[in-house]
Amino acid sequence: MLALQIWLVKALLIFLTTESIGELLDPCGHIDPESPIIQRGSNFTAVCVLKEKCMDYFHVNANYIIWKTNHLTVPKEQYTVINRTAASVTFTNVVSPNLQLTCNILTFGQIEQNVYGITVLSGFPPEKPKNLNCIVNEGRKMMCQWDPGRETYLETNFTLKSEWATEKFDDCKTKPDTPNSCLVDYSPVYFVNIEVWVEAENALGNITSDHINFDPIDKVKPNPPRNLSVSNSEELSSILKLTWINPSINSVIRLKYNILYRTKDASTWSQIPPEDTASTRSSFTVQDLKPFTEYVFRVRCMKEDGKGFWSEWSEDASGITYEDRPSKAPSFWYRINPSHSHSYRSVQLIWKTLPPFEANGKILDYEVTLTRWKSYLQNYTVNDTKLTVNLTNDRYTATLTARNIVGKSDTSILTIPAYDFQGKLMESKCYLITVTPVYANGPGSPESTKAYLKQAPPSKGPTVRTKKVGKNEAVLEWDQLPVDVQNGFIRNYTIFYRTIIGNETAVNVDSSHTEYTLSSLTSDTLYMVRMTAYTDEGGKDGPEFTFTTPKFAQGEIEAIVVPVCLAFLLTTLLGVLFCFNKRDLIKKHIWPNVPDPSKSHIAQWSPHTPPRHNFNSKDQMYSDGNFTDVSVVEIEANDKKPFPEDLKSLDLFKKEKISTEGHSSGIGGSSCMSSSRPSISSSDENESTQNTSSTVQYSTVVHSGYRHQVPSVQVFSRSESTQPLLDSEERPEDLQLVDNVDSSDGILPRQQYFKQNCNQPETCPDISHFERSKQVSSGNEEDFMRLKQQQISNQNSQSCASGQMKMFQEVSAADAFGPGTEGQVERFETVGIEAAIDEGMPKSYLPQTVRQGGYMPQ
Amino acid sequence: MRARLTRRTLFSLVLGLLLLSTAAAMRGCMGPYQHLLSQLQRQAHLTEDTSSLLEPYIHLQGLNTPILRGSCTEHPGAFPSKDALRGLSKRSFLRTVNATLDRVLKGLVALQKQLLNNDLKELETARQNIQGIRNNIHCMSWLLGGSSETAEPMQTGPGSWLQLTSTLDVFQAKLEGCRFLRGYHRFMGSVGWVFREWGESPSRSRRHSPRWALHKGVRRTRLFRRGKRPVPRGQLPW
Repeated sequence: MLALQIWLVKALLIFLTTESIGELLDPCGHIDPESPIIQRGSNFTAVCVLKEKCMDYFHVNANYIIWKTNHLTVPKEQYTVINRTAASVTFTNVVSPNLQLTCNILTFGQIEQNVYGITVLSGFPPEKPKNLNCIVNEGRKMMCQWDPGRETYLETNFTLKSEWATEKFDDCKTKPDTPNSCLVDYSPVYFVNIEVWVEAENALGNITSDHINFDPIDKVKPNPPRNLSVSNSEELSSILKLTWINPSINSVIRLKYNILYRTKDASTWSQIPPEDTASTRSSFTVQDLKPFTEYVFRVRCMKEDGKGFWSEWSEDASGITYEDRPSKAPSFWYRINPSHSHSYRSVQLIWKTLPPFEANGKILDYEVTLTRWKSYLQNYTVNDTKLTVNLTNDRYTATLTARNIVGKSDTSILTIPAYDFQGKLMESKCYLITVTPVYANGPGSPESTKAYLKQAPPSKGPTVRTKKVGKNEAVLEWDQLPVDVQNGFIRNYTIFYRTIIGNETAVNVDSSHTEYTLSSLTSDTLYMVRMTAYTDEGGKDGPEFTFTTPKFAQGEIEAIVVPVCLAFLLTTLLGVLFCFNKRDLIKKHIWPNVPDPSKSHIAQWSPHTPPRHNFNSKDQMYSDGNFTDVSVVEIEANDKKPFPEDLKSLDLFKKEKISTEGHSSGIGGSSCMSSSRPSISSSDENESTQNTSSTVQYSTVVHSGYRHQVPSVQVFSRSESTQPLLDSEERPEDLQLVDNVDSSDGILPRQQYFKQNCNQPETCPDISHFERSKQVSSGNEEDFMRLKQQQISNQNSQSCASGQMKMFQEVSAADAFGPGTEGQVERFETVGIEAAIDEGMPKSYLPQTVRQGGYMPQ
Repeated sequence: MRARLTRRTLFSLVLGLLLLSTAAAMRGCMGPYQHLLSQLQRQAHLTEDTSSLLEPYIHLQGLNTPILRGSCTEHPGAFPSKDALRGLSKRSFLRTVNATLDRVLKGLVALQKQLLNNDLKELETARQNIQGIRNNIHCMSWLLGGSSETAEPMQTGPGSWLQLTSTLDVFQAKLEGCRFLRGYHRFMGSVGWVFREWGESPSRSRRHSPRWALHKGVRRTRLFRRGKRPVPRGQLPW
């Protein structure tokens, strides 16, 4: 009961106290927002709202509000009175990380009283964590690190998240003092890829880093190799063998190593080439070490493929290489002590201990031998570095070797002169004077110098010779004078050189040189050179030497000849290229195509369908585009046949329309190098039939060529007939003879007509056919035809077509009709000439000619 | 028209969810096939080593005598044999290994209870390694175009698994644990053998094309007809 009363009293007391404090602490207003966190550099507005009760009590309103930041009054310009109870203040570009903002009022118009206060925090949202990386220290848990970005000035939490494909691991939250790393609390599982990322979060936002996905085995930092030990080899004094125990992770992964070594006293480390330690091992033999030298080693390891991290260095371990025989003989000297005896003298031999790098081991003792003359030999084995012996006054030779466990050093030899030794120094002789200091513990380093008792000029001058001779320069060289002829210190050389007619020029050269270059020489000139060596006492000339500078510098001739040759070659090449491009033209001029009859065949024989020509159609006439051809038509003109018959045949022929091209054939049409256009055909079928029995039949070679090959030049072949005309055509000289004979027999001579497309000038030169034709056709008009030929030749370069046609007409008129018919021929100038065909003359041929690429029956 | 639109929306939603779930499920399965296979091979190599678990167990349980070691033999049929595993298709093999390891995990939990206060840290390491293997099997199954859990694995003999019931005395329980671990190591050795065969025999791996290969448009010809494939005991078709 009593306890209850006490409890009630206590409760009442607490209630009253709390109520009174509440009244006392009840502010007159508040600031909104309460705990603002803003981004640095942004604007901020706070509103102070007063309570009505306070306003009445203190007789204030919002106009009486005063804002203060860190106890400093904010200028009134930043205030805004919203209403009677509220006023705001605005701050622009807030950069202060921590701002104490208070709302105050002037009570009773003069007493400033604090109403409310807040703390404004400013900062930045977290940046995206970068460079996230993890490390797995062997036997420990995985730790990840990252770059958290700029300072946020706010409390920022970093959380490391990790997961497998099938499992999510606990988050790893950073500690405030290490916001850029986190040690996960689970052991990593090797050979399972894990995905890791970081999330950063503060009051202004959150952001996630890039995810990284890796196998923890690729992030391992192994423990260092342990129990490193070093052992040497008695067989080889230059090697040391290291052995160690690999870290336990070696059972999971293969390792590679770095091995550093240095001598005990050195400060810098040398490294074994990494390629020699790139695979798992537990020992390594280091070579090329100095004998009997202490070396210090350390080793570290990492995953063999280079993924992961190097371990820490192992503990240092040292070892000494095995001994080797001393690499150098100890230097020694002697000291002759005063002696009371005249026949003996006390000689003390002194030497220094070898430094470790020459001793190559522990020196066990020294062996000294003393030889008088060559017979008497005394051996001593000494542990000390000096030996005192009593020697006679004779000359002695002393030798000294140092010995260690492996072997002896080379021998040092010392001559102890005889007691009465007196040196006789000569002039002009070079002496090497050596002074060896002798200290209490042995001799010091000797110093030597050369000296002359008295110098003299050299007894012989240097022999100079040329090393290299150029157009305008020459390199001279010489040998140093032997000591025996120097007679003193050679101070300098002087080179004298001159031409036969020129003055001598002298050049001084330092005595240390053995080579000098003479420049500004004249080309193709004989020079004489001699050289003098000088000592302090004078000089001595050497033998004179002559040389001739070449006319041309090296490469000068080549510089001229090569461009000329190149230009010639280029010109030749261009000529060849030109000829190659114009080979068709050249060929036409020099080697006209001669059809090979043996390769000919008759593609189509069309006696029943005479070829049709549309002489009015230019397209048809030139349809194949080949204008280089010449068709030769041989006709036999029968002077007995009246001319009107010829006109009849012409009319008949005009009625024929040659419709086929390319491989048409005609009777009696002889062609050579003609186009694919159809040759002239007989005037009608009957005539053809009749003529076939007695005339040579020619055909045109098919365009398509042999087995579909396109022939380069279209040729005409003929039939297998053995008609005389064919023979004469193949042998024009025979033809000429025969025709002459025929002509003398009263038979009209055969006339050869040319069909030549003259749109291409290169076809024009084939005038020999024409000449031949003229000879055959009319021997008595030979002179006339030659004149015509000359005219045609002159016109070739102008208008071949018209020239040819004119020629053709004149020839035709002269041959076929004779001079008396010239006027009639003129009437047919547009259609050419056709010889009359006598039905009774089976050997006649239907002549044909062409006008502007077409054939015209006449 | 409206119903059609609704159906289309629903279909898109389902497809999207499916893709999202697939992407989420495969998060972490980044490695290519060969890398994953190499990881599995090395995991199997690690876990087949008896020094990783059995030997510490034997020493801890006082079974390190020749006689007791001789008694510590694997229960016949407790784990799939090597021949049985080699006869499985890739997918079936993965499913079987996954299911077997799941039961091994349960066995390890039982062993841990048996050990009571005797802490055997190798048990926890083994558990984590097995989880890692299962994760890789999961990824490999996905690469092969399936799941390691969607079908029933090969069955083992009834009652052959570790049963540390209260009826067993302490010695028998220790021996059972030893025999269980012996079987586990042997099984992992067999698993490693098969994984190495995968790496050595490209033709065998064609039986199920990796998903990455299928993604590249590679169409493999099925070399074996399902009916002619050697089916071990209890194996269910994929």
